[in-house]
Amino acid sequence: MASIWRSLLYLYPPSYRREYGEEMRAVLLDVQAESSGQGVWARWRTSAREMAGLVSGALQQHLRSMTGFNRAIFSPRRFAMHSEFRFPKSTAVLMIVILAAVVMAIEKATAIASSQWPRTNTPLGPIHPAGFTFLPTMAVVFAIAAFAGTVGWTVLFALQRSGVHRLSACNPASEERSGLGLGTGS
Amino acid sequence: MESLPVTEPVLLILLSLAGEPRHGYAILRDTEEMSDGRVRLSTGTLYGALRRLLNDGWIERCREDDNARGRQSYRLTQLGRRNLQMEVARLKQLTRVASLRVARKEV
Repeated sequence: MASIWRSLLYLYPPSYRREYGEEMRAVLLDVQAESSGQGVWARWRTSAREMAGLVSGALQQHLRSMTGFNRAIFSPRRFAMHSEFRFPKSTAVLMIVILAAVVMAIEKATAIASSQWPRTNTPLGPIHPAGFTFLPTMAVVFAIAAFAGTVGWTVLFALQRSGVHRLSACNPASEERSGLGLGTGS
Repeated sequence: MESLPVTEPVLLILLSLAGEPRHGYAILRDTEEMSDGRVRLSTGTLYGALRRLLNDGWIERCREDDNARGRQSYRLTQLGRRNLQMEVARLKQLTRVASLRVARKEV
């Protein structure tokens, strides 16, 4: 069992293995020694937990080494860049709704213009409606905006211009909370 | 990039290091004991969290007499201790309010 765990350590980036490989190997040996005295079911659970932890940990470290993103992949607070500064998701949704409305207005205006052209003496022909396009338009605009936003944010993140790196560089809770009067003694 | 409030595993790791420096396996056992066996960290999860806490300056490595088999101990820094105190204060306030609300509902 320990040999499988040790082999999973090779999934980690080399720099990580150099820094933590020996320590993790020692801990895995301790965990194996502890579990050897347990029943089959408990050993199986321990093995599954360790393997899952090693695989997900390796994935996270590779992601981190590629992007510099210093957080768990499945963190429920991915958008919480700082505890006092949260990404205004409602603003993004409102902006997309406004964008969808603008797109729809342009579409309607085009339909009206095409019904008036060419100008004749005959009364205005029927306006060719673009159909009941509100929901499809919203869906398409949402999809395009989400895709464009994701691509843009990824580019900014890769260039370390998203602001996340700057926030992580400064001490969390140092400046903002220093005036709260909380003791720091041990 | 660890920010407050912290997740339960990270809180337990910080609490484990609050009393004394510990190495990896001791942290695993202590977190399990503190949570009555509810939280059982894997080695991969533990070292992912330790690395983030090290990078953020919440914990630091320290020398230990028994450093055989590649064992390395960790302890809280001043920043880590201050953040842990703030988190504990937040939890205290939350449990106080929760107790009052639950008690009021039961009356």
